[in-house]
Amino acid sequence: MSSPRTASRRLAVAFVAVVAVLGIFVVKLVDIQVVRAGELSASAEQRRSMTITTWGVRGDIVDANGTVLADSVDRFDITASPRNVGDTTRITLDGERTVVPTSEALARIAEITGAVATDLQAALDADPASDFTYLVKAVTLETFTAVWDLDIPWVYSELRPSRSYPGGAIAGNLVGFIGTDGPLAGTEYQEDSCLAATKGTSTFQRGADGVRLPGSLVVQEEAVDGGTVHLTIDSDLQWFAQQALATQGTAVGADWATAMVVRVATGEIVVAADWPSIDPNDLDSVSAENSGARSFTAPFEPGSIMKPVAFAALLDQGLISPNTQLTVPGNYTNGLPAGENITDVFAHGDLRWTATGILMNSSNIGTVMLSERLSAQQKYDAFRAFGFGEPTAVGFLGESVDGNYGKVFTPAETQADTVTLATQMFGQGITATSAQMASLYQTLGNGGVRMPLTLVAGCEHPDGTWTDVPVPTGERVVSEYAADTTLQMMETVATQGGLRNVISVPGYRIAAKTGTGEVAENGRYGSERIVSLAGVFPADRPEYAIVVTVGKPDTMKSSAAAAPVFNAIMEQVIKTFRVTPSTEPAPDLPLTW
Amino acid sequence: MSALPLASPRPQRAPAPRRHLEVAPTRAQRRARPKLLPAVVTIGGIGVILIAQLLLSIVLADGAYQIAGLQSAQRDLLRQEQALDERLDVLASTQNLIANAESLGMIASGNPVFLDVSTGQVSGDPTPAGGSLTGAAGNQIGNSLLVDVALVAPVAPTADVPAAPTPTEAGGVTNAAPGSIPSPTTR
Repeated sequence: MSSPRTASRRLAVAFVAVVAVLGIFVVKLVDIQVVRAGELSASAEQRRSMTITTWGVRGDIVDANGTVLADSVDRFDITASPRNVGDTTRITLDGERTVVPTSEALARIAEITGAVATDLQAALDADPASDFTYLVKAVTLETFTAVWDLDIPWVYSELRPSRSYPGGAIAGNLVGFIGTDGPLAGTEYQEDSCLAATKGTSTFQRGADGVRLPGSLVVQEEAVDGGTVHLTIDSDLQWFAQQALATQGTAVGADWATAMVVRVATGEIVVAADWPSIDPNDLDSVSAENSGARSFTAPFEPGSIMKPVAFAALLDQGLISPNTQLTVPGNYTNGLPAGENITDVFAHGDLRWTATGILMNSSNIGTVMLSERLSAQQKYDAFRAFGFGEPTAVGFLGESVDGNYGKVFTPAETQADTVTLATQMFGQGITATSAQMASLYQTLGNGGVRMPLTLVAGCEHPDGTWTDVPVPTGERVVSEYAADTTLQMMETVATQGGLRNVISVPGYRIAAKTGTGEVAENGRYGSERIVSLAGVFPADRPEYAIVVTVGKPDTMKSSAAAAPVFNAIMEQVIKTFRVTPSTEPAPDLPLTW
Repeated sequence: MSALPLASPRPQRAPAPRRHLEVAPTRAQRRARPKLLPAVVTIGGIGVILIAQLLLSIVLADGAYQIAGLQSAQRDLLRQEQALDERLDVLASTQNLIANAESLGMIASGNPVFLDVSTGQVSGDPTPAGGSLTGAAGNQIGNSLLVDVALVAPVAPTADVPAAPTPTEAGGVTNAAPGSIPSPTTR
């Protein structure tokens, strides 16, 4: 039976079989180790490893003194897995079993978080098969810890980075706010590139009990915290200005009010107050139209506080001196279409005023008569050189939208409209924002050099480096003589004007100008007024420019409504920044001849 | 092996008594002979390594648990710090400070007066301090975060607060030359 031939055949068959099996193994090995190696090791990695998103912290917004105006805080969303919801059995150390029913667990969550238990039940019932639902959103650490200590197995949590505004409505108009999908307004929006944090990812491998295996953490991308935005404002002074505006605005029945304080040497905005101002913690605290910064984005016809432009330009061109003599009539029609005339606030006959007298008495007629020494182009150029008709260097959110930065009528436009050509010189027809007006007074206080207004002093990154630091380069608008002389002429408003007792601060020389702008509604001027008081102090070595505007007061429709606020803010600026009194007396410029 | 008798000229001897033959080990063979000590050392070494590895992994695992525990403790503490910071910022807000200052009866200061130390001249027009910080209507700049914040209750000063040392007690004021500012001696 077993001949050598069959034996060798058997051997051959066995050999072939072994080789075939070995071949299959080799093929499989190559397939697993080489061909599908990447795919398989990736899926293995996925089973073993956990990917976590690490969150950077959004940067703070702080004022010039480092007072926090916007702060990143931790809030927690309490979530649940409806699929796993059920009565919880608890076993104490003594082996005693207690059952906590779902309804009781929900009731205790509701009690801690202030939510309604039936709402929580509804959230769970919405999709019982799902593994995820929100129970309560954005609770504080205290509440979260209390819920966590209930130790309910189907309750989970999520970190929700949120924002808190410790200053409330102080500078709320400037700081802005954040919606659910990102920043919506103000500095939060404008400086988002500085503030925003970059999230990172890391993976680690974990054991069956969820503990990280030692040495398995791999950081794919490092989370980067956001930078801190430093504003130039002083939050205490900002509060004071807002409080003064609110008090006076309420007293005179105004619709709104703004105040700006600018450091003349640098163009830094120390105060940009709006009343009403939003409390970013409570977006319903004011109406939508008051939620932005009116001082930057709501131009109005400023009235007589615009007159210094004409006087500075005339002085710069050598066309007038403070003592230029003029006979000013009570009614003026020269160069105007038939039926149009310009009057002053008070009726008068022919008056012999000097240029200073015209400015002090805020004579529209006198200003228009003097301005006739300038060509239409020169008038236009003067306004544009002072920064009117363009957004300020702050570039506040919405400021560059057409119509939000005011309008100066061009020579081509005023050629046919000689009324506007004349009225622009006393601030009617032309429109400007409070920020632009503050820029005008900054320029006059800084010897005719306009510094770009700054609101953001820079972005400080977590590594200590700074970016976005403005490098202010001034731009000469008028000569130093013209600027200083305009201020001296304006000083007569504070020493001899009707509001001198309200404005003045003993010991300090103040260059001020009143303004009562008429409000055009539906193409004609009605009884509404926007009243202002603007000025620079101390006039002998100017440090701060202040512009206060009260919009549409009901009971007091003259700049007397703005004067007390101007005075109060000035006194507070003196206290805050230790502004020392003037050392030289004001020059005595004649008003009449 | 079969010997052919013809080939041998040697005389036949009586066969010698069969001796016990032993292969003499070469030196190399002697050395290759298994010895007890190296075996014990090797096996012991493996055992030590295994135990060391076991201990090391126990320590590592223990460390991993410790790290995990410390990391979650650190996270909790950081969260707590942030929550306290948040609270502090709210309490330090201008509105809260003003409300507390008012309730303690503090008033706004008057016009400041400046003393120029180089000339000894006083400038400024002093006015007496007076008036409320916020005016009759109270603070009008809202802060919804302060809804639950209570005012600080003033505490009467306790008797054991040491009295401020007078300059003579401190003995720090030197008789400076006239015209210079008197200053305490720093020790």
